[in-house]
Amino acid sequence: MADDSEWVLESIAGYLGSPEWVIPVTDFMENKCTVFDDEDENKLTYTEIHQQYKELAEKLLDNYMQEVGINEQQFVEACASPFAKSKTLQGVLQPVLASDDFQMFRSLMVQKNMELQLQALRVIKERNGALPECLMDGEDVMGELEQQEMKILQEVLRRSKEEYDMEMARRTLLEEEVGTTSSSCSIPSVPNGTGPHQAPPLAPAPTANSAGKTSSTAAKKEEKRLVLGKGDKDQKSPAKTGGASPVKPPAERGGSDGKTLPAVRAPVTGAPVSPKEKSNSNSQAAENWLEEAQKEAGISKPFTELSASQQEQLQQRALYLRQQRDKLQALKKEQQRPKQGQPEEAPAAPTAAPSTQENVPKKAVSASNGNSSQPGGAPQGDQKPKEISVEERKKLQKRKHLAEKLKEEVIKK
Amino acid sequence: MGENQKGLFSVIEKLKGTTELEFRIVLLGLDNAGKTTLLKQLASEDVNTITPTQGFNIKSVTSHGMKLNVWDIGGQRKIRTFWKKYLENTDLLIYVIDSADKKRFEETGVELAELIEEENLKGVPILIFANKQDLATASPAAEIAEGLNLHTYRDREWQIQACSAVSSEGVQDGMNWISNNIANKRKVE
Repeated sequence: MADDSEWVLESIAGYLGSPEWVIPVTDFMENKCTVFDDEDENKLTYTEIHQQYKELAEKLLDNYMQEVGINEQQFVEACASPFAKSKTLQGVLQPVLASDDFQMFRSLMVQKNMELQLQALRVIKERNGALPECLMDGEDVMGELEQQEMKILQEVLRRSKEEYDMEMARRTLLEEEVGTTSSSCSIPSVPNGTGPHQAPPLAPAPTANSAGKTSSTAAKKEEKRLVLGKGDKDQKSPAKTGGASPVKPPAERGGSDGKTLPAVRAPVTGAPVSPKEKSNSNSQAAENWLEEAQKEAGISKPFTELSASQQEQLQQRALYLRQQRDKLQALKKEQQRPKQGQPEEAPAAPTAAPSTQENVPKKAVSASNGNSSQPGGAPQGDQKPKEISVEERKKLQKRKHLAEKLKEEVIKK
Repeated sequence: MGENQKGLFSVIEKLKGTTELEFRIVLLGLDNAGKTTLLKQLASEDVNTITPTQGFNIKSVTSHGMKLNVWDIGGQRKIRTFWKKYLENTDLLIYVIDSADKKRFEETGVELAELIEEENLKGVPILIFANKQDLATASPAAEIAEGLNLHTYRDREWQIQACSAVSSEGVQDGMNWISNNIANKRKVE
């Protein structure tokens, strides 16, 4: 009897390893396993598939036993023998046991499904070299969030660059304008003004603040008008004039870049930029800015695979950028008024003005001899600035509107 | 052939290396009766994140030295037609009723009466959980028993147990009844 059961079990174990069993059973599992996930809840179809499996397994076993001549009695005795309870045999018999044990069957199917999925991933990897991001490990939700965030961030950066370009374009145009129309002006650079309409302050002589203000008001006015017209045109096609213009004399560059650089940089880096760090040429400024932006992007991209806290940081950074931009815009608006009356000074003074709010008062005061460039203080030349600021405000508002729309679109996506 | 298959079944059962007593329990009842909550309570799992069951859940619970494989099948009307497929080889039926949902007492009574008629459940003990007793509007278990005509059941053991699956009150009492009856039934067999 004991011999019998050993023989029977060995025979059956051998059959379970033969293609006659393995091929149909593997076929069945590979065909049906796709619906089996590792969710806690079972689907009703699992039961149906289990039933089919049961029928298949029994049919195969039945056929084999008849073929070999094992009768049921022998089989029962063999199964009851201690040999059948050994771990190795239990492992071999697992596919048979699964026909009666739903949970065992389920785990087999889930495992098979996972194997197939991994195989598919490998194939994709081999074919494409790398896995598409959407197939990366369980990152669907994170990835989506990330993408949204990246979009927002990129939008913010893009807008920041646009603004910068626009400003640069306007300034170069202004400078050209100044250069041609008011060639009499000894120093055509645009120092303090952050806004596009700061050309007027160029007109007065650099040295005498008060004198320039009082005597050349009329001339300034005219110039401003001219400049304004130009500025408007230029706004419509900022891209063309975006780059640093080669027309500008080097002296101008020094003066103007001081303003622009901090204005853009401050928000991007997220920390006050000391005047020393600022570069001295426009092109360099642009480069720096781009670098900054790239860094920003470069840092954030790897973040896709990083923790939530880092994502949060990213978000905060984006928020910060936005806030800084808003602040700057407000600052610009305010500054336009006081700046009108301000003469140009040493490049050092202008640089400070736009960089950060704290810097503004100190530097501006020291540089402009009491011509406060603080946002609040609107000094002399109130009338002229107002004319400009009305138009300027309209423009700004338009721009803000556009930005808002863009933002909405981006976020809604 | 049919005989032969049945024989093979029992053989496979013996193939399993299990030494402890194993029982199959099916947990049924209308949707929103609290079947899955009860199941999770039995398995000492979190009962706060339960959603309507679209398929079925299985938990193995050890009670009084017995391994109880409890099958909780979804109770929505469209799923009820599948209940039949899970009744084979069942050792005990747990039927759960929402004691506070008086409007559906009739519906739940009809479903239970149909189950009682099932061939696969012939002679199978039934434990009825009068669930949601934590709600103020819940009917007492005795009232429900009367409404269900439980006293007319002659061919099987039955028990009605008031309980709250959320707070687990009364659940253990029901489990005690189960272990007593299942063990007895096996002995008789």
